[in-house]
Amino acid sequence: MTDANTRDRPHDPIQEDRPTAVEPLPTEEAADLCRAVTDNVAGVIVGHDEAVEHVVTAILARGHVLLDDVPGVGKTMLARSLARSIDCRFRRVQFTPDLLPSDVTGVNVFNQKTREFEFQPGPVFANVVLGDEINRAPPKTQSALLEAMEEAQVTVDGETRALPRPFTVIATQNAVEPDRTYELPFAEVDRFVKKLRLGYPDPDEESEMLARTVGHHPIEDLEPVTDLESVRRARETATRVRVEAPVREYATRLAGYTRDHARLGVSPRGTISLLRAAQARAVLSGRDYVIPDDVQYEAPVVLPHRIRAGSDDPEVDGTAIVERALERVAVE
Amino acid sequence: MSTTDATASRSVDVDRAIPDRAFRTGALAGVLVLTASYVSVLLEVTGVVGGTARLLAVVAVVFAAATLLARAIAVRTAVGTALLFGAVGFGYYFTVTGVGVGTALGSLDRLASDTIAITTGMPLLRMMAVDSWALAFAPGPVFLSWYLAVRRRYVLGVLAGGIALAFLVLSGDAGVATTLAGTVGGIAAVGFGELELRRGTIAQADVLAVLFAAMVVLSLSVSLVPGGTPGPTVLIEGQGTDGSLEANSATAPEETTIAGNVSLSPEVRFTVRSERESYWRTGVYDRFTGEGWVRTGQQEAFDGRLEAPPGETETVNQTVTVEDDARVLPAAASPVEIEGDVREITERTDHGQFHPSEALIEGDRYNVESAVLNASSEELANASTDYPEEVTAQYLQQPEGVSAEFEDATAEVVADADDPHEAASAIEEHLRTEKGYSLNVTRPDGNVAEGFLLEMEEGYCVYFATTMTQMLRTEGIPARYVTGYTSGQQVDDNEWVVRGLNAHAWVEAYFPGHGWVAFDPTPGGDRDDVHYDRLEDARENNESGVDTGASEDVAAGPEGNTSDGPDLDRVEVENAPINVSEPAGGGVGPTEPPSEIPDGALPNDRGPNGSAEPGIDSLDPEGGNGSANATDGDDGEGDGEREFPPSSPETAIVGIAVLVGLAAGAHRTGATARVSRSARLQYQGRTAGPDADVERAYRRLEILLERRHRPREAGESTRQYVEALSGTPSFDPRARRVEELYERSTYGGGIDRAAANEAIDLVDRMAREELPAIGRLYTAGRNGR
Repeated sequence: MTDANTRDRPHDPIQEDRPTAVEPLPTEEAADLCRAVTDNVAGVIVGHDEAVEHVVTAILARGHVLLDDVPGVGKTMLARSLARSIDCRFRRVQFTPDLLPSDVTGVNVFNQKTREFEFQPGPVFANVVLGDEINRAPPKTQSALLEAMEEAQVTVDGETRALPRPFTVIATQNAVEPDRTYELPFAEVDRFVKKLRLGYPDPDEESEMLARTVGHHPIEDLEPVTDLESVRRARETATRVRVEAPVREYATRLAGYTRDHARLGVSPRGTISLLRAAQARAVLSGRDYVIPDDVQYEAPVVLPHRIRAGSDDPEVDGTAIVERALERVAVE
Repeated sequence: MSTTDATASRSVDVDRAIPDRAFRTGALAGVLVLTASYVSVLLEVTGVVGGTARLLAVVAVVFAAATLLARAIAVRTAVGTALLFGAVGFGYYFTVTGVGVGTALGSLDRLASDTIAITTGMPLLRMMAVDSWALAFAPGPVFLSWYLAVRRRYVLGVLAGGIALAFLVLSGDAGVATTLAGTVGGIAAVGFGELELRRGTIAQADVLAVLFAAMVVLSLSVSLVPGGTPGPTVLIEGQGTDGSLEANSATAPEETTIAGNVSLSPEVRFTVRSERESYWRTGVYDRFTGEGWVRTGQQEAFDGRLEAPPGETETVNQTVTVEDDARVLPAAASPVEIEGDVREITERTDHGQFHPSEALIEGDRYNVESAVLNASSEELANASTDYPEEVTAQYLQQPEGVSAEFEDATAEVVADADDPHEAASAIEEHLRTEKGYSLNVTRPDGNVAEGFLLEMEEGYCVYFATTMTQMLRTEGIPARYVTGYTSGQQVDDNEWVVRGLNAHAWVEAYFPGHGWVAFDPTPGGDRDDVHYDRLEDARENNESGVDTGASEDVAAGPEGNTSDGPDLDRVEVENAPINVSEPAGGGVGPTEPPSEIPDGALPNDRGPNGSAEPGIDSLDPEGGNGSANATDGDDGEGDGEREFPPSSPETAIVGIAVLVGLAAGAHRTGATARVSRSARLQYQGRTAGPDADVERAYRRLEILLERRHRPREAGESTRQYVEALSGTPSFDPRARRVEELYERSTYGGGIDRAAANEAIDLVDRMAREELPAIGRLYTAGRNGR
């Protein structure tokens, strides 16, 4: 695609982002694909199988993941091995206090030869983008990334450009130096479908990891197990997973519970995210319908970061409230 | 958290908050019921003298005003308004009754004593201008209670209405059903009001329903005990308003209802030495309710000679000796002076009749002087028709809703009469000739006078006298109903023995310039036969108290009265309240042959003790006192219909209350849920769609699993539940399959018929194996087949 083309034809994001263009994979194949990717990544990332699964389902759910963790537990490695497994374009952006929005989205550069402006795409023009320590960048830069996440497009100099599909941001937050960070606004945290915490591996796993990585890093040998086209089709499969009324009502009741028991409960966007994640989870189980168990499995990573407990008790945080909601809200 | 929370989750609907609107509706409805209860009492009372439309209009206006003003004025202003309503109303009342506002205010002690009289059981009907009183009484409480209810001050509103109702309860005018309805309404208003204000739930409404029922049943069972069965003493002493005829004559209560069957007492009540034969009057009544008679006004201590009638009178001195305890002072009309110890306790009514303030005992004796009217027919025929206003105001009263037929029939009877005396004579003659005499009658519904004139063919003196009084009033002739005794058995030249069976009721009509003239519309001959048969029976059976020393020797034949001499009509009513069968029923008791002919019919089937023990068999239709007998006036054919206990509104209300209470209690304790679950567990039809069938199958499975293991927890999905149980040794793997099918049906967009049947069959088998012996046999049989 040349710049000329882009300029001649008015951009129509709706048309370009039409999902119907893709034929969904059969559920079983989609499940196999996910399993393959998960196993592949798990070969590199030891001891975080569940987190890997969550990231894979996040991709299927067309969402983005926020990793909230101490440095050095393998966040970057997770993102890279995932990108390599599905044979897609991977970019990493290190957010720093002096990072500008155009450093993320791209910039128009004047080409002396052609006497025209050329668009230099920024790092967001990739399928998997790792935004490292996004809370260290100023809010304006953060919001540039967040716009890209929400709209799957970026606007530079008044011109809107669609991002590739799939487009998944895996962002990490620096949690150890709060005085050097700009806290993410609550409304923007809401845009991550999941917030995960990898945590330290347990001693056995850490020992195994050391055995694997000291010397030759396994990521060098990581082979793709699928391609972008299959991932797009698997995503389409996820969107077609059936969500029946009892499940929808259950999700609504869960959200309602958090709204009744916290200062700020789960937003409708949160409920949508929950059901999308549950759809992806159903695909992973080879099912073409969501059952309440899917919702329950996803809720602890999808909901807590959207809740502001408003309690003086530090124990009563979003996670605790979601736990309680899962315990008390009746599954019909 | 396991059991309780799971239960809570399944009965989650019970804890759902009911919308405030529902509670508000309930509370307002409660206030309406409360208001309706006391307004209905006022309407009923007003209906006797006329003016219900006016009362209704006033209530409607007050209601509208309360609704409109609810948002406009403050509570203090509203209380002021209600007081103003009351003040204006009672000012109007005093003006109407001629007392005058000034006089009323000047004699507050009198007002206070009147109020005390009412609240200690004086029926409103005994008040002169009861319609005006009701008009004065109603607006205050109606306005205040509705105003407060609209403003959500339910408790205060109920207080306002409750005081009004309590007043009418104390006066004895509000019946059990009305009181009950009002009370339940009040409680409902308070209860729902509280629930509304405190955001209640269905579960709490349950409690309210249980409370209602408990209250209703308790209050009724308490109130039923004293008033349950009228004992014999009540009938003889006539303490109550039970409608006993002799009771009326023997006690002359302020109020009397007209009864159905009556019986005779041959016991001697008193003896009279008199210069002249006469009816011995004991009570005068002026207000007809349609079902009975009420004497308006109060009694005052006798403080000096009464005024004699305006016409020419003859002084008759009588000496009365009481032979049995009594609460009356029989005397020829009109008594003017009384002497003896009894004078101390003598009171006089507004109608010129003496009453003792306490019971007379056997052996009491008094002298009474009467001014007996001595007017010829010609004089009466020439009497003017210019009735004094106080007479027309009081003695022309008719209950509301007198039918045109009654008026037409009366007009036909008096068509040829030229003056009131002729009219009265015509009516008297008409009733004597057209109606038969019988003690076995069933009281008609509604207006007794109409029922007797238009439908019945037989009756006894009460019916004749009541009907004649009302016919006279229809014609604009002031008339009143009087009770007492006929002259009795003459044992000497100037001595008469009066028995219970001499009790009688007759009529007095007013003739200006003369006074009250007696008429007796009851036919004489038949009655005499009936009554003397009774006396003979009693003598043969050696009943006690039948004779005095003098009366035994005298032949018990008809007393030799001349045709226009005092008639005899001596009856005693027994347990009238039992007798509520419909006139159309026309049944006679099981031991009673059909009896349409009055003479001799009654006494034949009386037990040897007869009414000497009138109360013993009062509840037993086979006891032989004929209380179950009823002769239909129209066809005269006894249908042999046995009487049933009364199915009164009270009974219905109690029944409904009990049902509601039980249902709510069952709901509260979860009994209904348990029963229906147990029932559902064993059988399931295949009628609904496959998905609904699978769901029901799964619910049954859950009940089974709950019994064997534990209930599903609130946050537990069906799959988690079954997975969790699968670890236990007694787990039935078929449960997992049912759960899968259920999951597929519920979340996976439905399943087909075959899968639904599979689920049902699995659960059926599991449920039957769960049953004791029979179930296992059944299963074994099925498997062996």
